[in-house]
Amino acid sequence: MYRIRLHGRGGQGIKTGSRILGSAFFGAGFEVQDAPVYGAERRGASMAAHVRAARSPIRERGVITRPDLVALADETLLQVPAANVLSGVGPDSVLLLHGNGDAETWRARLAFSGTVVVLPAAGEHAEAELGGARCAGAAARLAGVISRQQLMAAIAQELASLGPSATETTTAQALAAYDAVARHAGVLRESRPAAAVAFAAPEWIDLPLESARIAAPDIFAAATSVEMRTGLWRTMRPEIDYAHCNRCAWICSTLCPDSAIRVLADRSPEIDLEHCKGCMICVSVCPPHAIRALPERAARARELAAAP
Amino acid sequence: MNPALRRMKDLPSTHLLGAGSAMCAGCGGLLALHEIYDLLGARTVFVNAASCMTLLASYPFTPFRGSWLYTAMASAPAGAQGVRDALDILIGQGRLPPEEDLTAVALTGDGAATGIGLSATSGAIDRGLDFIYLCYDNEGYGNTGQQSSPATPLGARTATSGGAHGHAASKKDLFAIWVAHRPVYAATVVGADPLDLARKIDKARALTGPRLIHALAPCPPGWSFDPAEAVEIGRLAVKTGVWPLKEYVDGKVVHTHVPHPRLPVEEYLKRQGRFRHLFEPERDVQVLARIQSQVDAYWAEVCA
Repeated sequence: MYRIRLHGRGGQGIKTGSRILGSAFFGAGFEVQDAPVYGAERRGASMAAHVRAARSPIRERGVITRPDLVALADETLLQVPAANVLSGVGPDSVLLLHGNGDAETWRARLAFSGTVVVLPAAGEHAEAELGGARCAGAAARLAGVISRQQLMAAIAQELASLGPSATETTTAQALAAYDAVARHAGVLRESRPAAAVAFAAPEWIDLPLESARIAAPDIFAAATSVEMRTGLWRTMRPEIDYAHCNRCAWICSTLCPDSAIRVLADRSPEIDLEHCKGCMICVSVCPPHAIRALPERAARARELAAAP
Repeated sequence: MNPALRRMKDLPSTHLLGAGSAMCAGCGGLLALHEIYDLLGARTVFVNAASCMTLLASYPFTPFRGSWLYTAMASAPAGAQGVRDALDILIGQGRLPPEEDLTAVALTGDGAATGIGLSATSGAIDRGLDFIYLCYDNEGYGNTGQQSSPATPLGARTATSGGAHGHAASKKDLFAIWVAHRPVYAATVVGADPLDLARKIDKARALTGPRLIHALAPCPPGWSFDPAEAVEIGRLAVKTGVWPLKEYVDGKVVHTHVPHPRLPVEEYLKRQGRFRHLFEPERDVQVLARIQSQVDAYWAEVCA
């Protein structure tokens, strides 16, 4: 059985990617399961979907804990612990990384004992949005059991309701990815079904019964949501040009839905990049146009270059 | 009008709602809530019906500074009743000092407000419950993928209205339903007009009894537009007359803003993917004319 987990951000088409891959396997004669993990699928938030494909009926259910392939549409999720991208991988796993850099560097950086395949991302907006479809195309080739025609038929079937132009763009991206990893065809191997004897019970921790103030002090704390670093959702970053900022009546601060712009004592606004989700409302409402939008990737690269 | 709320500068510059909530980037509902919370203050209990905002306070994280109670979709007003009664009893028995009283706010989306939860709301208004009902209206069941709700406007495409002409029914008028109950106060607001919103919240919080705050909540994924445009879409809803800003107080409906000149509705519709089929591949002249004529008829009556 192939056990494949796709990771990415809401908006990249991870669920669509899992459906394309599932249908492509089905077209190639496999039994298939594909399902997204239901939860907070907000644009930019961490997102996962699962695909199982086998030549015999699949009796496994639920999330994939030991993936043969992890396909990651956005490498920046590796910094997000809650995304659990590398959960359950082992020396036989393949990591397909949609991003930049070379495979050996990634292996070393992640201390990853399996195989790493990098699917280069040009970093352009349209490509990022189709990360799910690109991962599906590449995964199909890595398995080595799905033809170009089967992949194209799966895309046509899954995107039929979105019209011909969506199908065309997605097909082009998925096929480009399919071709880009050609030399790794077949690197993904089927693993054996899980055996009941190998089941390890979860480790339980017994907690004594305490009053809520001791056992769960956070329920009495205010505004604990600040612990969530929603700044990691951002693909674009707003940047204030203080030379042009009017120190106005905090229009950007009032209209930021996320309370992520505070006003300092001298009436200068300050963007809280740990929480800014990158909606860019501030950029569009600033009266003197003193806030501009930068791609997050470029902003981070600049920060890295400036670091001592 | 509260003289302290004349200009944008009079609005709070520090914010009570914590950052880091799970709402989408550019959420028009969160925008309204964050502005409203600044004015209601931390001594507020939110009774949240199942909705997108279910994800606001997922244990152990909350953006609020006080309590949040989660209810099933139909029962937020009943939950607010329980909270109100408990506070009244505790204060009445001297177990809670009166200065520790809280405002009960039912927080729901449009599905609960105009559909599933309408009966519980009607009952709560009948009983004269002292609460604020805050509905953030993104015109569909947004949390589950934007299926149509009774608040979905004519012609909009949703996950369940995919025909050539979009949603076949017209938006249910929640404000009128509330006014028919003769509540203490009812108002429509939009986060894109924070000053108008602030004046209404300021008025509502000083009153006792059932109060409606109905906030239009432009929804980037559900309405299909770039999150950066969320405020502009809200402003266009007002400028085209699609979203009238008004309040009901002392038995009368007063419009707090009459758009003049009123822009054609197309200026609002064409910015949103959910109406794209009305423009491409060819103009749906009939549906566009029906939407415009509904808005024209509304304002003809207002200005008569």
